[in-house]
Amino acid sequence: MSNIIKTVDVTDSLENLSEFCDIENGRISGKIFSDKAIYEQELEKIFARCWLFVAHESQIPKTGDYITTTMGEDEVIVVRQKDGGIKVFLNACPHRGNKVCFAESGSTRGFICNYHGWSFNTAGNLVGQHESGIYEASDFDKSKWGLKEVAQVDSWKGLVFATFDPEAPTLKEYLGPMTWYLDALFDNQEGGTEFAGGCIRSTYECNWKIAAENFVGDILHAGWTHDSAARAMLGGAVAKVSDFEESYSVNWNGHGYEFALDTVGNVAVLGESALNKYVHTIKPSVAERLGEFRSNMVASVSSCTIFPNFSFLAGQNTIRVWQPRGPNKIELFSWVLVNKSAPDDIKEKWRKGAMMTFSPTGVFEMDDGENWEYCTKTSKGKVTGAQDLYIGLGMNTLERQTDLPGNVYKGQLNEANARAYYQHWYDHLNAKSWSEIPDRNVGKAEVE
Amino acid sequence: MANQTETQVELRPVSMEQHHKVSCFLAREYRLLDEEKFDEWLALMHEDVHYWMPGIENRRRENLLEHGFYASDHMAYFDDKLRDLQRRVARFQQPSAWAENPGTRNVHQVSNIEVYYGETDGEYLVHSVFQSVRSRGMDEEYVIYGRRTDVLVEEGGSFKLKKRLILIPNATLSCKNINTFL
Ligand code: FES
Ligand SMILES: [Fe+2]
Repeated sequence: MSNIIKTVDVTDSLENLSEFCDIENGRISGKIFSDKAIYEQELEKIFARCWLFVAHESQIPKTGDYITTTMGEDEVIVVRQKDGGIKVFLNACPHRGNKVCFAESGSTRGFICNYHGWSFNTAGNLVGQHESGIYEASDFDKSKWGLKEVAQVDSWKGLVFATFDPEAPTLKEYLGPMTWYLDALFDNQEGGTEFAGGCIRSTYECNWKIAAENFVGDILHAGWTHDSAARAMLGGAVAKVSDFEESYSVNWNGHGYEFALDTVGNVAVLGESALNKYVHTIKPSVAERLGEFRSNMVASVSSCTIFPNFSFLAGQNTIRVWQPRGPNKIELFSWVLVNKSAPDDIKEKWRKGAMMTFSPTGVFEMDDGENWEYCTKTSKGKVTGAQDLYIGLGMNTLERQTDLPGNVYKGQLNEANARAYYQHWYDHLNAKSWSEIPDRNVGKAEVE
Repeated sequence: MANQTETQVELRPVSMEQHHKVSCFLAREYRLLDEEKFDEWLALMHEDVHYWMPGIENRRRENLLEHGFYASDHMAYFDDKLRDLQRRVARFQQPSAWAENPGTRNVHQVSNIEVYYGETDGEYLVHSVFQSVRSRGMDEEYVIYGRRTDVLVEEGGSFKLKKRLILIPNATLSCKNINTFL
């Protein structure tokens, strides 16, 4: 198919890459948050290669429904097809490259370019042009000039991912055993999940990795950073994570999920007792569906990042993508997730509660943004950026005797997930293609 | 189609004197915010206040939402009752609100004030335009412009804010947060 996208040429890896990342010794360099050459490599070797979250199925339920988003810095259109499938196109006209869809979401029969009037159907085919006669005179082959289609699109439990790389492993392989944990949020009830309407977009002057890393496994910051928000919402400090008897950090292929088994620790900070009650009410049916263990994770103290930049908090139900916009800038796209089967007033309380806590006006988020921006800004100093940063907590916490899938580490107050995240980041930047990426997983790929 | 503000079918402007009283109220409200007198600011809220700043969605004219670029059941920056506003204030006032120390320096400005009689006696419908400038640290500066529609209730010689609709033109917020009220 000629309308399938051309992949970008892969340039050589940076020669000094190993200076930036020494995971075995628990060290990374501040430079990875602001170096321009590293960022260019990331766009090519991570964002043009990995599976990236592009939409939730519920955002585009009907034929012709679309949303626009970005994969890395590339703008794309995600559109529901007549056959119920989903296609993802570059949001750029193959004539001179003008953007073809300017709205963030809507419903349409096609896309017409404002420049010279090329017109595409929702399947991306070029179906007409202004002054079409002159094209015929030039032996123009319409079938070759449709919207450029992203190489692979697939979805898992309502989450739609896409990759520019035809060589990328399947989404299932990419996510690996992480799906077992994701079920606790995305498949805890019959009918699955949906997004509340809208998408809040905001801008941070920070590197995309510092935000993604925060969600991959940094519960350590919560008790300190978010003390003020917890006191405002709960009237007291956040749950003391070191008091939990059992908690884990699990990772795979750079993805990471850290969690306790306290069922409602995360949802409690929304300050809506009806939501805690809802979680307790559905718990027996979750246990039946997913087993006892995961029924404790529905809204427990936890966070997750799917490599490279898709993150969420089960309980607050904030879903987000940290869109890279240069080494020192991101756009945060955030959404609110609810169970489709939840009563309307519960959905409503989640919509408001998620915004009240994790959004640009969110009482928790405000303190995060400040931290991430200044982690990034200090690294711009020539000397400061060259210094090592410590990332060594929980070095010897791998659980070898466990039935849990994935690379399982004891305790969520642990930098094991962050290390695995940066190791995977390094492995991508060090590789020319998927085949060169080492498999560093040590845990079980499947649930027994 | 522009962002829709709430308007009544028939707008009845108030007297110059009443207009002046409302203008003074709005100016004072903003000064209280600039001076971080949050408790006094909260005291201006009606017990049933609805303080709403919907997210703005960049939609085509043929695909508009309930209110054009926004909808009541979509994501919002603020969709608050009094309890929620109190919680936000409580966070600002914690000694552990690390990101508020050093504090944020605010200048709130309000203009284009139109005052009309409201739906019931003692209620006023007020349109205005605002500008919020914040500076933090040595050099951070954030400016937010927008339009507001308020419903004020006259109570014991002063006003209480019963409803506020805040509309910004931006579909993407150009800063990391809104650590103030608008
Ligand atoms: S650029 Fe789109 S038709 Fe020419
Ligand atoms: Fe945080």
